[in-house]
Amino acid sequence: MKRPLYEASTQYKNWRYSPERLSQIRTTMNEAAVGVIRKTFEAYEPGSSSNVSFVNAHEEHLLVTFYVHKISQLCGHFRFPEEVEATATSYLKRFYLKNTVMDWHPKNVMLTALFLATKTTNNPISLDAYASHIPNTVASDVLDLEFLVSQSLAFEFAVWHAHRALWGIWLDIQNLPDSLPDIAQTQKSIYDSALSHVRAARLTDAEFIYTPSQIALACISLVAPALAKKWLESKANITIPENQTDIPPRPSAAALSASIEAIESIITETGKVPNVEAVREVDRRLRTCKNPEKVVGTKAYLARKAEAEKKAEEKRNKKAEGQKTNGAGDVDPFGDPLAEPVKPGLVDYDDDDDDD
Amino acid sequence: MDAVERENQDRQKRWAKEQKVGEGAYAVVYRGREFSTGRRVAIKKIKVGQFKDGLDMSAIREVKYLRELKHQNVIELLDVFSNKTNLNLVLEFLDSDLEMIIKDRSLVFLPADIKSWMAMTFRGLEFCHRNFILHRDLKPNNLLIASDGQLKIADFGLARDFADPGFKMTCQVITRWYRPPELLFGSRYYSSAVDIWSLGCIFAELMLRTPYLAGESDMDQLKTIFRALGTPTEQEWPGHTKLPDYVPVGQFPKTPLRDLFTAASADTLNLLSKCLLYEPRKRLSASEALQHPYFFAIPHPTHPSKLPKCTTQMAPRPLGEVDGNVDMVGSGPGVKAAAPNKGRLKRKITSPMDDPKTRSIARKLDFTKHVKSP
Amino acid sequence: MATKSNYGWLQGRTVRKGGHASSNSHTRSSTPQVQSTSTTIFGGGIKDPSGRTSEYFSMDDQCPVCKSDRYLNPKLRLLVSSCYHKMHVHFSVSPCESCIDRLFTLGPASCPNCDKILRKLAFSPQTFEDLGVEKEVAVRRRIAKEFNKRLEDFDDLRSYNDYLEEVEDIAFNLINNIDIPATEERIAAYKAANAALTTLNLQREEAEALALKEQEDLERREREARAAQLAQQEQQEREERQREERELIDKLETSQKDAHKIVAKSRIAAAKRSSARAASSSANSSLLGMSFGMDYAKLLKTRTTKVNNVPDEPHVPFLDDYYAYDDLYTVRAEGYDDIISEAVRRDREGIMRAGGYKVEEAWNRALLTAVAGLDAAPLSGLDEPNSLGDVDVVMESV
Repeated sequence: MKRPLYEASTQYKNWRYSPERLSQIRTTMNEAAVGVIRKTFEAYEPGSSSNVSFVNAHEEHLLVTFYVHKISQLCGHFRFPEEVEATATSYLKRFYLKNTVMDWHPKNVMLTALFLATKTTNNPISLDAYASHIPNTVASDVLDLEFLVSQSLAFEFAVWHAHRALWGIWLDIQNLPDSLPDIAQTQKSIYDSALSHVRAARLTDAEFIYTPSQIALACISLVAPALAKKWLESKANITIPENQTDIPPRPSAAALSASIEAIESIITETGKVPNVEAVREVDRRLRTCKNPEKVVGTKAYLARKAEAEKKAEEKRNKKAEGQKTNGAGDVDPFGDPLAEPVKPGLVDYDDDDDDD
Repeated sequence: MDAVERENQDRQKRWAKEQKVGEGAYAVVYRGREFSTGRRVAIKKIKVGQFKDGLDMSAIREVKYLRELKHQNVIELLDVFSNKTNLNLVLEFLDSDLEMIIKDRSLVFLPADIKSWMAMTFRGLEFCHRNFILHRDLKPNNLLIASDGQLKIADFGLARDFADPGFKMTCQVITRWYRPPELLFGSRYYSSAVDIWSLGCIFAELMLRTPYLAGESDMDQLKTIFRALGTPTEQEWPGHTKLPDYVPVGQFPKTPLRDLFTAASADTLNLLSKCLLYEPRKRLSASEALQHPYFFAIPHPTHPSKLPKCTTQMAPRPLGEVDGNVDMVGSGPGVKAAAPNKGRLKRKITSPMDDPKTRSIARKLDFTKHVKSP
Repeated sequence: MATKSNYGWLQGRTVRKGGHASSNSHTRSSTPQVQSTSTTIFGGGIKDPSGRTSEYFSMDDQCPVCKSDRYLNPKLRLLVSSCYHKMHVHFSVSPCESCIDRLFTLGPASCPNCDKILRKLAFSPQTFEDLGVEKEVAVRRRIAKEFNKRLEDFDDLRSYNDYLEEVEDIAFNLINNIDIPATEERIAAYKAANAALTTLNLQREEAEALALKEQEDLERREREARAAQLAQQEQQEREERQREERELIDKLETSQKDAHKIVAKSRIAAAKRSSARAASSSANSSLLGMSFGMDYAKLLKTRTTKVNNVPDEPHVPFLDDYYAYDDLYTVRAEGYDDIISEAVRRDREGIMRAGGYKVEEAWNRALLTAVAGLDAAPLSGLDEPNSLGDVDVVMESV
């Protein structure tokens, strides 16, 4: 059986979930984070954590979605192309499938994700030009998180987008047998409305469950259901050539209609900018339940840092010893595995664990 | 963050780093092994945080594209893991590259060998183009050869997606000798045809055993091209005089390729000429090239396992340094353990002894009794 | 000092200007190592036989005027004036390019060291470590152009040697600044007297160079012809061998005779055939030039007799198993009414077309994205592996 090109992409392989799974991921991560932070609070000030009102998974999601919207605003300000906006959005959303807002506030992550997206989509802007056009921001705010964001994305930078699929469908519609030659102009409003739905879809989880082509089709379907159906049927009716027995079966309208409907409701129900008041409320609470180890200057942060440095020192000494005694036993060339994952406050660029 | 780090550590454990084989401004390359299978790998450790604009563009491009491309004729990225401030790319370990093989004078190329290499290169390139990726740095040095003879395209540090309509791209790409005239004339809007031109140059080089169009500067490169292929007319290449950096470079007549490639068959020259057409839109596409009669004609392409292999010794080599020019850094990821110093001299036409000019400078006073030859 | 300057230029560290190393991954941007800061192209300089100039450089170079050196300015380029000053042991007195620009852009001026009037174009890149040598070489070159008589042009050896001594005398004077006006007159006088012969000799030299080139070309062509012929031979041999094998098998199948005898007979026949072939091939190679032919034939033989007898297979255009949805869409030949590519298609100046941008490629990508994954059913339930976020292993199983 031949392998469809899209199914070889990292997007299809690694960033696809069921709705249930998404919810599970977020809940589990949130609960785990709460547990760890509570413990940290307790370690420095017993009893302090009982007063803290931690944010829950739903509230985290709300906050992230709000900042997704901010990306859109920034891109308008910088006049970045659609590709940059869509990519940055995906990066931000993916980041928070691996991290909690209590460790990293979306305010800075968003700036970094956008900066990274300009690079990965070949629309680079100098860091200085970027930071200087964003109020209350210095270069290091953006750069400090770049490695963390990239790492959380597993360095998978290529993203397929629904807006391109929409463009493709729109071109292909001109090819339908009974399409009038000027359809692109007379029906332009269909395209424009569909595009606004695509943008709304970016505020939702659609891209984690469905493919860009499905999302685009759903967006057209919201505006012009008959046209969408006609296009889909034209695809389904294409006959498979005689000798090609190894290509996947045709997309069928029946099979897809359930997905299309689901996407349509996702967009109409959750494709909205979160209420500003609600977001402010979450933000307020977030200030008190933030992970102190990540906040520069707190006791917990400094303690963590000292611990990390001590461990690095130990490792360096051990390594030096190991070299002196000519590699006694099994010395892992990458250095010893850490007993516990180290949580630096910010990435320490000078600390290189293997300096050979 | 815990989970992500833990995952990376697990990944890291699968690979054993052995010996450093190359070093550059922003990356160090090690030879290594996969613990479970023992297979040889190259581990490229990229230091992050070196540059004022953060993660380096070349590194980003390599990771981005290698992550998505899996093909027999494209170098394979086996794994990616990071720790603290290093990004580690685990790549397949490849012994040599086409440049080493071309320069190894003890090797003889059959036409079937050249056909085989070209077929593999075109397949790899076609796959990139099928995924809407321009490579933009094709040259023999970046075509790596595995121990089973398979050719792999490497070094995606200059690659990028096809541009959306109206978006400009930089013209400062592709090593000069393999750069098409539209880039030399400063064009900011171009297509996959730029890679095809590079392949044409590589094709010629395989036949000549020396670079075909070797200019000494960008201006000289244009002249060299025109001298070899004739100055293009407006009809041949509509609009080229309007390109941003267009300058007239001299009128040269078209000389038939047959004059230089005396041993090549008609099919060979046909394919070569179609890769080196001036108008980029007219150049062959990679997939058209793969269906060209040249490949179907006798002799069949040599089976990769029987292709000539490099015999020169391996030694650690330095990776490319930052050149001070935008974001062009480093060398290909699939670094083999070698490359001898690459100072390359153009083939001299005359030897110093015979050159009249040197003779006149080093004239000797001749005091011997000399009988004049009849 | 004398000994040093006599041989310094033979062993001098010279750096090749230009992008020869551009195929090196070092110089990906393919800028030459020495980059000119001025817009004037300085021709001059001593050219070596292949026609290129090698510029001398050392880490100690410093411009006498502005004092910038290579440490501060790696692209420093020092040029030599036409008055060739004598040299101090470590530092050359050549001014750097930017100083030359500055001093001479407004017209000729006097040299900062001596007071000779100089023009901007009189500056050339330095080739030799020793400026004295640089001057000497330049002088001798010039002389050689004027005085190019050969032994054959003289009646006897004595007069030829006299001529050479005269030439040397003139050269010595020019190099050491002795009697310049008188010497120049002598040159002029000689020129007037010998114009015809000089031109003739020039032509002779050119003809010789051309003949040499032709000979090399001829050799090269011969070599290629040889290679092609041997390749053909090898092909024939292979086919013959296959035929033999097939015949043998046929015979073994069909014949009643003893198997051993059949095999033995065919072996003898094969041996006879191969010795006949060897005889003819060595005869051929002796026609084309013994040594090269023998080596090449040997090489080919070793290749074909290697253990690996994998046959060469006919070409197949695509060897991967990817499906790119090609049957699900076509890019319309007549194009589309498409606002996104409006400017490109209009392309009044024809610049995009000349550069080769193909909007069809962008359309192709959009159309592919529109159908890719259309049939992919969404995941449901909790049936994934248990890690937080399914980060898949990149490597495919071998």
